[in-house]
Amino acid sequence: MSVSSAGFQKVFQYAGMFKEGMLCTVYLSLFTVILGFLLALVLAVMRMSNFRPFRSLGLDKDGHLRDGGFLLALSKFNPIAFIATVYVEVIRATPMLVQLFIVYQVVFNKNVINLPSVTVLGFLKLNRFLPGVIALALNSGAYLSEIIRAGIQSVDGGQTEAARSLGLTQGQNMRFIVLPQAVKNILPAIGNEFVTIIKESAITYTIGVQDLMAAVKAAQAGTFLVLEPLLVVAVLYFCLTFPTSKIIAYFERRMSRGDKR
Amino acid sequence: MATSGSLIQVTDLKKYYNKGAIKALDGVSVDINRGDVMVVIGPSGSGKSTFLRSLNLLEEPTGGSIVFDGVDITKKKVKNAEGKMVKLDIDQHRQKMGMVFQHFNLFPHMTILDNMTLAPIQVKHVDKAAAEEKALALLDRVGLKDRAGAYPIQLSGGQKQRVAIVRALAMEPEVMLFDEPTSALDPEMVGEVLDVMKGLAQEGMTMVVVTHEMGFAREVGNRVLFMADGKLLEQGSPEDIFGNPQHPRLQDFLSKVL
Repeated sequence: MSVSSAGFQKVFQYAGMFKEGMLCTVYLSLFTVILGFLLALVLAVMRMSNFRPFRSLGLDKDGHLRDGGFLLALSKFNPIAFIATVYVEVIRATPMLVQLFIVYQVVFNKNVINLPSVTVLGFLKLNRFLPGVIALALNSGAYLSEIIRAGIQSVDGGQTEAARSLGLTQGQNMRFIVLPQAVKNILPAIGNEFVTIIKESAITYTIGVQDLMAAVKAAQAGTFLVLEPLLVVAVLYFCLTFPTSKIIAYFERRMSRGDKR
Repeated sequence: MATSGSLIQVTDLKKYYNKGAIKALDGVSVDINRGDVMVVIGPSGSGKSTFLRSLNLLEEPTGGSIVFDGVDITKKKVKNAEGKMVKLDIDQHRQKMGMVFQHFNLFPHMTILDNMTLAPIQVKHVDKAAAEEKALALLDRVGLKDRAGAYPIQLSGGQKQRVAIVRALAMEPEVMLFDEPTSALDPEMVGEVLDVMKGLAQEGMTMVVVTHEMGFAREVGNRVLFMADGKLLEQGSPEDIFGNPQHPRLQDFLSKVL
């Protein structure tokens, strides 16, 4: 298979589609990142919560903690954390494609939630775009929540003790001491996840979202060329992901001022 | 100078783990007076750090009471000025107790100046200019005014601990708690930190110091507590404790460390 400039010229006739596809991918990723991050925060807070409704069952008649057994285990049970943990584990253990199809074919089925066939932001079909964003956000939220939780727990306990001993409230401690350090610790991992979202958004092409991959399919069908449209789209994805990782690296450097001598 | 009178009354303080199988504190009672420099000594695992950390509730005691400024801070609810039961605001009491840690616990993402002004600005609502002026004066006192813009990692261990001390002082506490402040330091830096603490003691600051520095205990302390196995076994003046120890555990301990 040879690559010719004539082939690329044919592909460039589809420039308009690639442009819309690129915008679509950007919107997909942007909404996914925002929704996914919010979901991740909720999940992380749920998993770190200290809600134990059966706490009192762990004590015996004299008010001492039991040595073991079912009631002691039940007293430590945190249903909120349990729900969040199950969610994260299920999402991480099943294919993205399956999750996407469940959201699109089962949840946004005409008989369950019937989205109107309208276009939003100029050219996006709502009944394809919205399920795509939701499926991606549900997926990345699970991964991001693990990153956030690990980041918060990675901050040395002595920091909280120092903050509280100075009279800061738990909220002020989180805001001024723990979260700034946690964000610094997890920024590389979050950056990775954002780049992953941009790339994984390609999968939404399978439910008919008009993203970059849809433009490739259209160009391939119209020109009978296989390789050239794929090369073009690879370059376009690179143009999205590479600057994203560079921007995050910049913030990483800015935030690590306290680390260098 | 120090005004006399009791500042903190600790009664029968207990801290149990594993259903009482481990008794980190097993009924400690002591009165801390204003102006006291109380030095707590004892072998490792004796409960002296737990005792100190209980004083500002970094450890929640299993039993007993700690009355600070007339309020029992181990109770979850207290009577307010109008006699109503309200939730105890532990943060309000903690800001009156400065604490210095073995591992400094400076905030690494902030400059020295920001480390010092954070709590005065956020907790006491002092305005920024005033907080910075006070912080710089305190830094000047420990010879670190020129490092105000530096980050903690740029300082030596001794410098970090001196900053940690003045960071606590910036809140104008009524008592300073020191949890083995020199144990993580290189030997040549111990002196500079002890000098700062000595200066504080001479100004009449109420201090509770957990330390292995027997020289400091003897020279600066006015009361020495000896703890072992979660119990307060002996207390007295430095002369009594070091010159005429009574309890066999104390005699044994001193024979090993002196």
